[in-house]
Amino acid sequence: MSKVNVLVLTGYGLNCDNETAYAFEQAGADTDRVHINALIDGSVSLDKYQIMAFIGGFSWGDDHGGGVIQSVRMQTNIGDQMSTFIAEGKLIIGICNGFQALVNIGLLPGIDGDYVTRSVAVTYNDCGNYRDQWVSLKVNGASPCIFTKGLDQVEYPIRHGEGKFFADSRTIERLVGNDQIVLQYALADGIPANLEFPHNPNGSILDIAGICDSTGRIFGLMPHPEAFNHWTNHPDWSRRNELIRRGLSPAPGRITPGIQLFKNAVDYF
Amino acid sequence: MPNRIEITLKPELFDAEGEGIRQKAVDYFGIQSAAIRTVHILTIDADLSIDQVEMLRTRIFTNPVTQVSSLASLDIDFQWCIWVGYRPGVKDNAGSTAVEAIEDFLHSALKPGEAVYTSKRYCISGDGLTHAHMDTIAGELLANDIIQQWKIFSGAEWDPGEGIGYIVPKVQLNHVPTVTTIPIDSDRTLLALSKDRNLALHPNDISTIRRYFLKQSVQDQRATVGLSDPTDVELEYISQGRSDHCNHNTFGGLFRYTEAGPDAVEVVDDLFKTYIQTPTLSLKAEKPWVISVLWDNAGVGRFDDDHYYVITGETHNSPSNMEAYGGAITGIVGIYRDPMGTGKGSKLIMGSYGFCVGPRDYKGDLKPRLHPRRLLDGVIEGVRDGGNKSGIPTTFGQVLFHHGYLGKCLVFVTALGIMPAIVDDEPSDQKHIVPGDLVIMSGGRVGKDGIHGVTASSETFSETTPAGHVQIGDPYTQKKMHDFLLEARDSGLIRFITDNGGGGLSSSVGESARFSNGCRIELESIPLKYDGLDQWEIWISESQERMTIAVAPEHLDQFLTLSRRHAVESTVIGEYTDSGKLHITYGGTTCAYVDIDLLQTGFPQWEFDAEWIPPEQRGLVEPVISEPTDYNSLLLDILSRPNICSTEWITRQYDHEVQGTSVIKPLVGAGRDVNSDASVIRPVLESERGLAFSQAIIPMYAAIDAYHMTTCTIDEAYRRLISVGADPEEIGGVDNFCWPNIQYNPRTNPNGKFKAAQLVRSCRALREMCLAYGIPLLSGKDSMYVDGHLQGPYGETRKVSALETMQFSTSGVIEDIDCCQTLDAKLDGDLVYILGMTGNELGGSEYYAHYDYIGTNVPQVNPESSLELYRALATAIKKHLTASVHGIYRGGLGVHLAIVGMAGNLGMRIDLPKMPSENVSRNDTLLFSESAGRFIVTIDPRNRQHFEKLFKKQPVARIGEVTASPELVITGFTGTDIVNLSIEKLKNAWQNPFRDLR
Repeated sequence: MSKVNVLVLTGYGLNCDNETAYAFEQAGADTDRVHINALIDGSVSLDKYQIMAFIGGFSWGDDHGGGVIQSVRMQTNIGDQMSTFIAEGKLIIGICNGFQALVNIGLLPGIDGDYVTRSVAVTYNDCGNYRDQWVSLKVNGASPCIFTKGLDQVEYPIRHGEGKFFADSRTIERLVGNDQIVLQYALADGIPANLEFPHNPNGSILDIAGICDSTGRIFGLMPHPEAFNHWTNHPDWSRRNELIRRGLSPAPGRITPGIQLFKNAVDYF
Repeated sequence: MPNRIEITLKPELFDAEGEGIRQKAVDYFGIQSAAIRTVHILTIDADLSIDQVEMLRTRIFTNPVTQVSSLASLDIDFQWCIWVGYRPGVKDNAGSTAVEAIEDFLHSALKPGEAVYTSKRYCISGDGLTHAHMDTIAGELLANDIIQQWKIFSGAEWDPGEGIGYIVPKVQLNHVPTVTTIPIDSDRTLLALSKDRNLALHPNDISTIRRYFLKQSVQDQRATVGLSDPTDVELEYISQGRSDHCNHNTFGGLFRYTEAGPDAVEVVDDLFKTYIQTPTLSLKAEKPWVISVLWDNAGVGRFDDDHYYVITGETHNSPSNMEAYGGAITGIVGIYRDPMGTGKGSKLIMGSYGFCVGPRDYKGDLKPRLHPRRLLDGVIEGVRDGGNKSGIPTTFGQVLFHHGYLGKCLVFVTALGIMPAIVDDEPSDQKHIVPGDLVIMSGGRVGKDGIHGVTASSETFSETTPAGHVQIGDPYTQKKMHDFLLEARDSGLIRFITDNGGGGLSSSVGESARFSNGCRIELESIPLKYDGLDQWEIWISESQERMTIAVAPEHLDQFLTLSRRHAVESTVIGEYTDSGKLHITYGGTTCAYVDIDLLQTGFPQWEFDAEWIPPEQRGLVEPVISEPTDYNSLLLDILSRPNICSTEWITRQYDHEVQGTSVIKPLVGAGRDVNSDASVIRPVLESERGLAFSQAIIPMYAAIDAYHMTTCTIDEAYRRLISVGADPEEIGGVDNFCWPNIQYNPRTNPNGKFKAAQLVRSCRALREMCLAYGIPLLSGKDSMYVDGHLQGPYGETRKVSALETMQFSTSGVIEDIDCCQTLDAKLDGDLVYILGMTGNELGGSEYYAHYDYIGTNVPQVNPESSLELYRALATAIKKHLTASVHGIYRGGLGVHLAIVGMAGNLGMRIDLPKMPSENVSRNDTLLFSESAGRFIVTIDPRNRQHFEKLFKKQPVARIGEVTASPELVITGFTGTDIVNLSIEKLKNAWQNPFRDLR
């Protein structure tokens, strides 16, 4: 069987391209880093790819809201291609700035196939500042999300100034009802953080850290699974390493929980 | 008629920005307001229809879920409204990206001169607020008058129809570019003109300059291109090139050093050659991992067989002192261009910061331009945006408070990159230029920004220093350029590359043209931000985010196509030649024609008298203090001191794990909140090799002797790397000197000779430590005028000079990151060891500073015995014999035992007198002496024999064990417990001072 092809967007201030591509490769995919302009001028076509990754960074400096200008540029220039991509049952992931772009395009929350309406937002952190911190996340096992299949509780870093998930209560109710809420900020034992800072680092409603569309094929999240591509990325690794050396803890698996998220997507095909 | 879009959060949403300002107004000035709402304003100065603007408003600039907006003034209730916008010509990054979005959406470009300007207004509600309160909030919190303008409206005078009005800060120079010829009939004329034009020519250089232009052969050659007397373009070029910032005249100077009166003068000819270049070149010869040093924009070391790493560091003090955010962001974005311009160009992999500022709670009556608290906020945010938006992890940083930095702050920025060892079949560190290669400028455009920045930083800050050199860096534009240049490099399109920093094109082209021995530049081809710049301004402007690249003519099309793909502007501005001349034209007319080696020849060396006065003769003595009886309170108070306590609020604002390479983070331990000794990254994701980085700044010891300040600083930076598992044989260094003015003047700098002697001593220490530890200086910079004249309450000004300061950075390769170690105690029952000798060395310590003393017993490094110990420890770490390793630094043993315990969330029982010591009989000396060369190590008891065997003849002792009960218990000389504190209490004390900051 030929390998799954992944397109990782680059350019215009995006900056997680190398590690996102690396993570997908660790997950068994063939990955191309493709400049946004190469998609727009047609020198690269979406046809060849099964997964498209909107990645982290500061597209256009994020001066007018995270991911806003990126979403305008993508929607205006290759909106049709993206619609086809989705209609073909392929996968899209948006991480951090990519998540912001997906909600601004309207691909998320994508309730009942509506991939146009902007009904949720990812806005300024309540703490008033940019923040880098590892968070505990509770995975919603009932969600249709392809990427998180089999995951229950994971830790990834967040790194953002605009990560507060917001929507009106009607939309939130629908997201809850459809099990589109995939990830919630949690305490170490997996109980949702219930807005407690810093466990919920940004004030997201219902501790929401990631959502998917109704089909589970489009997924957006603020934390960075690609930054957990090696077990030494984890903040406690040197503590655990000492336990391993004394035979008090098993050695880490080859696939980190970060890579597992990408592997779920690659294995879907 | 311009249009205005006002955007704000829906009223039911929390306004974090407004709340942050409200909180600061209370904390900083005691101004209580009920609420502050922020309105973002876009003023669109372009020929667009109302329908178009309306479409932009709804489709791009308003989030339908969270925001409301209007082309009229938004109806928001307030008692006061403050509008803040940029002054003309200040870089408005958000304005530029708005233009990009508009052009993309409308599928048409704005016309020349059309633009978008961003501004904000703050709607402030609350009772009892006065106009004076608003002046304070505007001037001291929201805006800096050198880059911004503001207006204050009361609720009563607000006209909702008019709103803030239509303020368009467009630059309109209405000036015809003119080249001026400068008469050189006498030294006095030229010196006077230098003053008038703010050229900052050194008086000693005047006659050399005149001699050159008066030479008959030179005049004959100049006549062939239509020139006679020098032009302003030429003199500005010389001024830039000869400035201390670019030419390092101080370090290249001749020093007459004496320790014992005028009969024993020792002449040191060139500090740089004597103390930096010579030892580094000899170390390079011994160490094959040292690839390239002392000539390029940054130093190069080997990471592995296929990769080189690149490192450099500098400061951006003067601009940050005036406009903290702008200065700091320009500094970090600027240093990131150095690795991009090293060899054939490298990818940025990490950055670090060091901030030295006045006391955050300063309440004295001197008036620095920015209060230290505000200044620190600004530099933190500047480095944050510069680093985070560049997609480069900021993995290490330090902050230091001292009264001496009230005069001028220090903002250290350090950058590391990585490049393939081979590019296009050639070693990547090498580059050359062939005559006929094109000179290309890529990145940003040229404006008036930064003009005379170099010469201003070479002068002491005063009230009349021109503020025009303050800029705001643009990481977005630079990130695009970074990605583009790496692709161009890998396609073999780059022959030579260098960055535009201080001196702009004048430096980058002037220096690169030496590689081909000449160039011809057409100034009119250089893209400008606005018309009306004089030729000399185009030539020396320091507008940011620009690189100068030599491209072979046959690669031009491919290079420009790739540049367009990445939305980066690249322009051919001339050609490299072998004419021996720097030849600049404008519209076909020559405006500069000088020998390419003019700046290298014939200029006089700077000279300094340097007189060392030993501390005792300066009135320093050991203070008389009896031994304290309440060690619990003492330790808690020292943990709460600003230079010891947690500054987590800063660290968390920096993205320290973008690129997915993080191994040892800046914060570690069970609570992930204690500063690590050093950071480690895995820059090649496929590899298990690590790159460790750390730095140290301990200027307090310079109050006693800059020699020992330097040895201790280098020892600490080196020791920090050893702690995380770096290989002692492959550690490189970067020296960053920041010194007060050393030129003696009986009236303005009466102790200049002493400061000059401190510099000589510091440089000696640098050489001795580098040779002893085997540290090649991969890179280094100096900033020589860390003085300020601050206004006092009676109309007087007072000079405030910084301590003689050197930041030392270390980098080193770790063969296998699995061997990396952190400082946190891991398991109870582990044994606690002290490595290294403790002496009675409280001079300059935090303990003495706590009592407002300095003392004389400054810590002294014994490099030979230390190195032996470090090698043994490196072996122990590599053999997995340690469970935690932490250096003992500022604050001494008491502080650092607490840190190991807090990080592990475990207690320790310590028997203090067991530690290896020399002539120490008091508990306070053992607890707080800052003797160099020491570590706290914990180990698995099963490794005891094996571990101890490695340190047989060394000053190493087991002094206690890690306990499950989370208390630090320390037994003193009399056998009683002198410290008994819970880890929680210790941590509270350590975290409290800045706990509420975010």
